[in-house]
Amino acid sequence: MQFFGKTNIDFVSKRNTWVIFSVSIIAIGLIFAFIFPPKFGIDFTGGSEVAVAFSENINTNDIRSAISEAGIKNAEIKSFGEANQYLIRVSELGDVQVTIQNALEKIPNNKVTILKVDKIGAKIGGEMRLQAYLAVFLSIIAMLIYIGFRFEFVFGLGAIVALVHDVFFVISIILIFNGLGIMDLEINQSIVAAILTVVGYSINDTVIIFDRVRENRVSHKGIHLMKLFNLSVNETLSRTINTVLTVVITLVVLLTFGGPVLQGFSFTMLVGILVGTYSSIFIASNFVIFYNEKIKKIDLESGWAAEKAKAAKV
Amino acid sequence: MKKVLGKIILVAVTIIAALAMLYPTYKAYNLENIQKDFVRRAKAAKTSADSLAIMESFKKQYGESLQSAKNSQLKLGLDLRGGMYVTLEIDVARLIEETASKEQIDDIFEAVMEKTKEQAKNTEEDVIDMFLKNFDKIARPKGKSLISYFDFGNIRDLSDEKIVEKLRKDQDEAIDQALEVLRQRIDKYGVAEPNIQKQGSARIIMELPGVSNVGEMRNLLQTTARLEFKLVKNNKQIVEYFNRIDKFLANKSARLGSVTETTADTTIAAETAMTEETKADTTAAADTTAMASADTTKKADTTDPYAGLPEKEAQEKYLADHPFTRLFTTYFFPPQKNAQPQPVYYASSQFPEGEYMFKVLEDSIPKFNEIMNRPEIKAMMPADLSIAFEANPDKRYEEQGIRVFDFHSLKSEAELTGDVITDAMATYDPTNNLPMVTMAMNSDGSERWSKITGANLQKRIAVVLDERVYSAPTVQSKITGGNSQITGMANAEEAHLLEIVLKAGALKAPVQIIEERIVGPSLGEDSIRNGFTAAIIAAIAVVLFMFFYYGNGGLVADFAVVLNISLLFGVLASLGGTLTLPGIAGIILTLGMAVDANVLIYERIREELARGRSMKSAIDDGFNKALSAILDSNITTFITGLILYYFGSGTIQGFALTLMVGIIGTLFTAIVVSRAIIEIIMSRGATHFGFGQKKVVSNN
Repeated sequence: MQFFGKTNIDFVSKRNTWVIFSVSIIAIGLIFAFIFPPKFGIDFTGGSEVAVAFSENINTNDIRSAISEAGIKNAEIKSFGEANQYLIRVSELGDVQVTIQNALEKIPNNKVTILKVDKIGAKIGGEMRLQAYLAVFLSIIAMLIYIGFRFEFVFGLGAIVALVHDVFFVISIILIFNGLGIMDLEINQSIVAAILTVVGYSINDTVIIFDRVRENRVSHKGIHLMKLFNLSVNETLSRTINTVLTVVITLVVLLTFGGPVLQGFSFTMLVGILVGTYSSIFIASNFVIFYNEKIKKIDLESGWAAEKAKAAKV
Repeated sequence: MKKVLGKIILVAVTIIAALAMLYPTYKAYNLENIQKDFVRRAKAAKTSADSLAIMESFKKQYGESLQSAKNSQLKLGLDLRGGMYVTLEIDVARLIEETASKEQIDDIFEAVMEKTKEQAKNTEEDVIDMFLKNFDKIARPKGKSLISYFDFGNIRDLSDEKIVEKLRKDQDEAIDQALEVLRQRIDKYGVAEPNIQKQGSARIIMELPGVSNVGEMRNLLQTTARLEFKLVKNNKQIVEYFNRIDKFLANKSARLGSVTETTADTTIAAETAMTEETKADTTAAADTTAMASADTTKKADTTDPYAGLPEKEAQEKYLADHPFTRLFTTYFFPPQKNAQPQPVYYASSQFPEGEYMFKVLEDSIPKFNEIMNRPEIKAMMPADLSIAFEANPDKRYEEQGIRVFDFHSLKSEAELTGDVITDAMATYDPTNNLPMVTMAMNSDGSERWSKITGANLQKRIAVVLDERVYSAPTVQSKITGGNSQITGMANAEEAHLLEIVLKAGALKAPVQIIEERIVGPSLGEDSIRNGFTAAIIAAIAVVLFMFFYYGNGGLVADFAVVLNISLLFGVLASLGGTLTLPGIAGIILTLGMAVDANVLIYERIREELARGRSMKSAIDDGFNKALSAILDSNITTFITGLILYYFGSGTIQGFALTLMVGIIGTLFTAIVVSRAIIEIIMSRGATHFGFGQKKVVSNN
């Protein structure tokens, strides 16, 4: 079986379109960040979160009125995975889960079970947030060093641009989905873990494409830079699609069957892996071309037009 | 063929290794199911004694193999098995405040403390460092030095450096003390497999599986430990009480006409083990607290009801008549000076006045407590006495691998509480260089202490922390100045522990819960089910995809991936790692990523074949040329895994761990194992191997 035979897709000619696409997504994400401020999980803010399951149907208003009678105001109540499972978040610490449980037990004809409780002191929350920033930053630095060893400067820069693009893109998607209410996503430890894994994983596609670029540059001496990129991306396309496909399969399964606890993680990874693949094809190589054209002021476009005309004649 | 043999062995060894590492998990799972069955029966039993007997029979039959299987089993994280995760922090600022001399504290010092507390709330920095910085900034310009506020009577030539050193030592000791107290409490509460460890210089993290009564547990963790001095009353009165319990239980079982008590064999075994050890222990004989070699002195007793019976029968009858006292061993100290303690048998009801000593095997403690907690037995207890176990097992037996605990009968009302203690220090006795602990008290305490010691010369006073006895020294003389010395510690470690315990009175560094996570059992079960379902579906999907796309090559890759996942579980189990829900996610992700290596190789092989290369050279080239790309892709993911492991907490670390182990497994199985398999197949003369390539190579 083979999805792609020898492909000959022109990935570089429409590069500006892709750049505009990426930049606009990130820009929309930024705008969303202002309109709907990013929500941090209690891992990072401190506070308490109690997940409960009811035996019968109930809505958030009933829950809210039950717990506010017990003196817990300003609770944030949202659905937690399955039907009749809710997550109640409050800023207080202490014995909140006992208060909440007692209050909810007063609801007639509906048995309540505490699924989980997380209580994080503000100090620990602050530390975890700091550690998360540090971890993302460090992993990008680590990738930078690794790529520095593997590639010449421009290519390394291209890979890093793609990587940073991935991180921002994923965060933008989270903000947009959360803002539009499509999915309840908040920035917490497992989202950060997902982003870090994406950072480690998505660099691969770029590395593999650039590896092929290096190889082809030797075997096709004097090849036009744009043709070189097109050839290399096409040659590795089957591999790129197939490996991403298997990972995407597992992530879709995880998202569908993995239960409420893993939802944020699997979703973030899924978006990240897709974006990572996209960026290694459309962003990383095109950055190198952009760099050559704009910074080094090399005229690639006229040569490229000639190449295309030559190809058309054949 | 020889070349291939090596490869076959390699593949076989890998499979066997994976299975061997997984076997304990399988065995533990089976044994735990048997255990559940026993627990069900124990719960259905009519009396608490019966249920205990059922559990004891399980322990006897399967206990050891379950324990050893559990040690190398893949453990489930708290998020899967349910339980409580807590991070506790010592309030170091409060410790500094309490250590300062109350009379000297002024506005300047308070300003320093206020600033320090404010900062401590928000940063991770060491609190003592912060305090010193603030002190330099606020107090020093006003001409103050640390000496102005701290006064440690027992330190000569006090300097600022020495004060800082002392504060740091206090902090260390405060955390050790909290650790000790918490360990004992958790142990007493009966949490199975708790994990308690120190984190940094001021934190303790605890994992308490299966704890459901959270409110109670929080109280247990946050109440300050209570240090008391109680008079030891290991006297005739308590021995008579034990004797009455025996008679009561024996009568009751006689009336019922059946033996409801535990089958005796476990306890006999225990008793002989103990006495044999005593016989063997010749060095201990010189020690004042050593037990006499067990002899058959009971025969000498004139009122012996067992006289004339053959030894075995006598022993059996004795055990049947003494359902309670057979659980432990009683010794009597004859009044003569330096006399050896004599074992006491409850054959007669006549007991001499004097000092007794009680030792019990750890395994018998649950039974002992069960009997002592029965309401009818409690009602018989002398009103002013209470029973307390020693906190740690007897060192002499522990060296021989037996855990024996002393227990004491104490006067219920404490003579003195620990808050009068101002300092304690483990040191060495200058006369004989043996470890000892010195203890200082404030003036009020000293006064009362002198009265107490004066009235109880040659009697024992127990140091009791949280109802556990840490030491029960004999009062040698009336202590008037408040400075006491406690000797008789087996080693420096024991002395250090006693120092820490005594300081429970002096050090007031309360612990606070700063992080608490509870997973209810139902969510844990759901998570296991969800994770398992997802893993199975993902595995099937990946396996099918690989087969359809890469044909036979895909099957080899599938085999490599399954092997990889088995190795991953096995290595996690033998590394003592825990499986968390994010860990399962990591495994599922590994499923998807592990085939990446195979995809790289096979795509390369297909390319080589398309160029018209022979099958064999295409395979060789495919593996060789794909290697650098495989390494690249795995190294980068491994690096982020490492960072995640270092910065992540708890369950996230579980994810990072499975990710990293999975990557190593991927490299091994994809590069080494699947190549070996393909070469084994090819060596049998095949000229073709299906990688899903087009049958006819088109040359354009």
